[in-house]
Amino acid sequence: MISRTFFFCFSAMVFTGYVVADDKVSGVFNNAQCVQCHEKTDGDLIVSWRKSVHAKSGQLVDCVACHGSDHENVATKARQDQACIECHGGAKDPVVHSYLTSKHGVLNRIEASNRDWSKPLAMANYRAPGCAYCHMRAGEHDVSISVRQDIMQESRSVQDEMRAVCHDCHSPRYISRLLENGEAMLEIARMKVREADNLIKQAETKFSGQQLAAVRQQRLKMQQHLLNVGLGAGHQSPDYQWWHGQPALDGDLLRIKGFISELMSNP
Amino acid sequence: MSKRKPAYIWFPLLVVLVAIPLGFFYVDWNKSGEGAGLYSRHWSPEAIFAYWSPTNFYQSTDSVVGEFSGEQCVDCHQSVTPGVVNDWRNSRHSKPANNQNVVYCSDCHGNNHQALHLPTPDVCADCHSVQHNQFVDEKRYGFPSHSLALERAMDARHFADKPKAEVTACLQCHSVASKCDSCHSRHLFSAAEARRSEACISCHSGPPHPDDETYFHSKHGQLYLKEGENWDWSKPLGKGNYPAPTCAYCHMDNGRHQVADKAIWKFGLKQVNPLTSANQLKRNQWIELCADCHEKNWSAEQLKQLDAERKLSWGKLYQAEAVLRDLRSDDLIQPSAKQRPPYPMDSPDAFLQYQRIGFFEGQASAFYNVSPIERDYFEMWYFDNLKSYKAAAHGDASFVREGQAEMDASLETIKKKAERLRSTGGEKLEKEDKGNIWLEGEYTEYNRDNN
Repeated sequence: MISRTFFFCFSAMVFTGYVVADDKVSGVFNNAQCVQCHEKTDGDLIVSWRKSVHAKSGQLVDCVACHGSDHENVATKARQDQACIECHGGAKDPVVHSYLTSKHGVLNRIEASNRDWSKPLAMANYRAPGCAYCHMRAGEHDVSISVRQDIMQESRSVQDEMRAVCHDCHSPRYISRLLENGEAMLEIARMKVREADNLIKQAETKFSGQQLAAVRQQRLKMQQHLLNVGLGAGHQSPDYQWWHGQPALDGDLLRIKGFISELMSNP
Repeated sequence: MSKRKPAYIWFPLLVVLVAIPLGFFYVDWNKSGEGAGLYSRHWSPEAIFAYWSPTNFYQSTDSVVGEFSGEQCVDCHQSVTPGVVNDWRNSRHSKPANNQNVVYCSDCHGNNHQALHLPTPDVCADCHSVQHNQFVDEKRYGFPSHSLALERAMDARHFADKPKAEVTACLQCHSVASKCDSCHSRHLFSAAEARRSEACISCHSGPPHPDDETYFHSKHGQLYLKEGENWDWSKPLGKGNYPAPTCAYCHMDNGRHQVADKAIWKFGLKQVNPLTSANQLKRNQWIELCADCHEKNWSAEQLKQLDAERKLSWGKLYQAEAVLRDLRSDDLIQPSAKQRPPYPMDSPDAFLQYQRIGFFEGQASAFYNVSPIERDYFEMWYFDNLKSYKAAAHGDASFVREGQAEMDASLETIKKKAERLRSTGGEKLEKEDKGNIWLEGEYTEYNRDNN
């Protein structure tokens, strides 16, 4: 059985950086079987998946999680946004919502009925990119390289990774300006967070954890708002850059200042 | 001996000949800075602004030399930016009907690669003059409107005040005044796309304008979500063509490129009298439009309910404003305006530093560099109030209830905080910024010098 499957896999898969045909093999497989076969047919794919957060995190996201266990339309299924949205918090989660309210997300929703997901994720085969078009370009299975690992640090490598994707449709200058601007915008958000953290650090020397409970709660909200700025810039959602981001951070910062100054006035 | 001319002659003359021209000169001088708009001398643009306001900031610096024909552009860009060419090939520009000429890249961007321009609505107007005229004509209805959106954003105090990289998103949406592709995305430029409700939501979403949530949650929106995929979007936005209305069906009825002409309550940011004769005319326009599907008395009743919702909301907002104004009179807002870091835009009116409470005092900028209680009111006014308003206008009763409940909670918080401020007493409040909490800090100091 395995050797037959292997034979079919080998003859069916045309390895050009991404899988072109996915309908020559039939049957239902589990993750171990997928890996066993694809390690031989397109080993790079398995290697890059193993490096990704999907393989490394406690919650294993394996082949079957995105592709399903039935080999029919196996690539087509995983290219669709729905494959990602379910695990990434659903339509209302900032990670997903910032994309859905961007122009890319909007176009994908409007044109959903005539979208051909069987095409490879490259060369502007899609009018607007879905999640996988940017984060798994040309079938790159290490999603980590296109996602910033630490929101407090600039990541040149993610920028360069994205630059290549954006060029399918946008001019090099436009992309450079957007990336520079996004980084500068995020740095301003970080300044607000560092300003708050500095105040909290000083306050911790004077007040108890219980007294600072409200401050801590506000700081948690601040973290989400910081992420929102990053998501807004990354997914190009003006609303996440702004109303869910910068002014929300302004509010967090002044409220943290308010709590601390009240403690200092009435200790 | 000639008698001196009496004051009623020379004073008006002085005003007409000196003061008024000086005023115009001053405004013009203010607009001549590196930025744009009323505060242009106070800021310089980010490089990305070139794409949101090409008329003000775009300069072609491309290194490719030469003049090219439309076919040559396509040949080369097929491999450089294939997405652009794919879109164009699928557009009416490349496959025009009725023996019209093909519209090539060069027709909108120019031929000279070192002097390319980013097309503004004026460029589209060469062929689409009817829509462009309607769009420009919208200005007479004032703001909010698409055609005034960009200049009003750049004239906002908080836009001028904040670091420009921080406020880029403002222009991304407000650039709707300078680019037709905000709704007819490039390079397909499809009318059908702009008829869909989603076309509006990349700007019309989020806490101050939850148009997307409230519409999609309404009966109209639910029908759209359920069946819209199968409607014929090539049809114009006219009576009988769609089973349920989209954003544009109501706000740009019959495809007229204006959204401001029927607006009664506008953004809901200040109270208006909905019963003036001008608003009565607009009300009749709405009833006429709703009559595509609804009985007239029923529609009139819906509009009355919206009036009632607005009256209820403003009752609550005025209560909160009264609490804040009382605190301000008793000098109980901490930090007071004078204790706050002077932001760049504070310098021109340093003599008039006071807490801005309510729309007419500049409430729109009262979300940063204010005290927590003022921020509470800002959120009540800009988020909770507008949620209820948009829900009422879009026919979504459950979000009206949600918005009202949030306003009640905010009002309660504001009243409680005010009580606490009063009970701790003015004399006990720190009049100085102990530990420089308000005046120092990385962002605060950065923004003091960079906007």
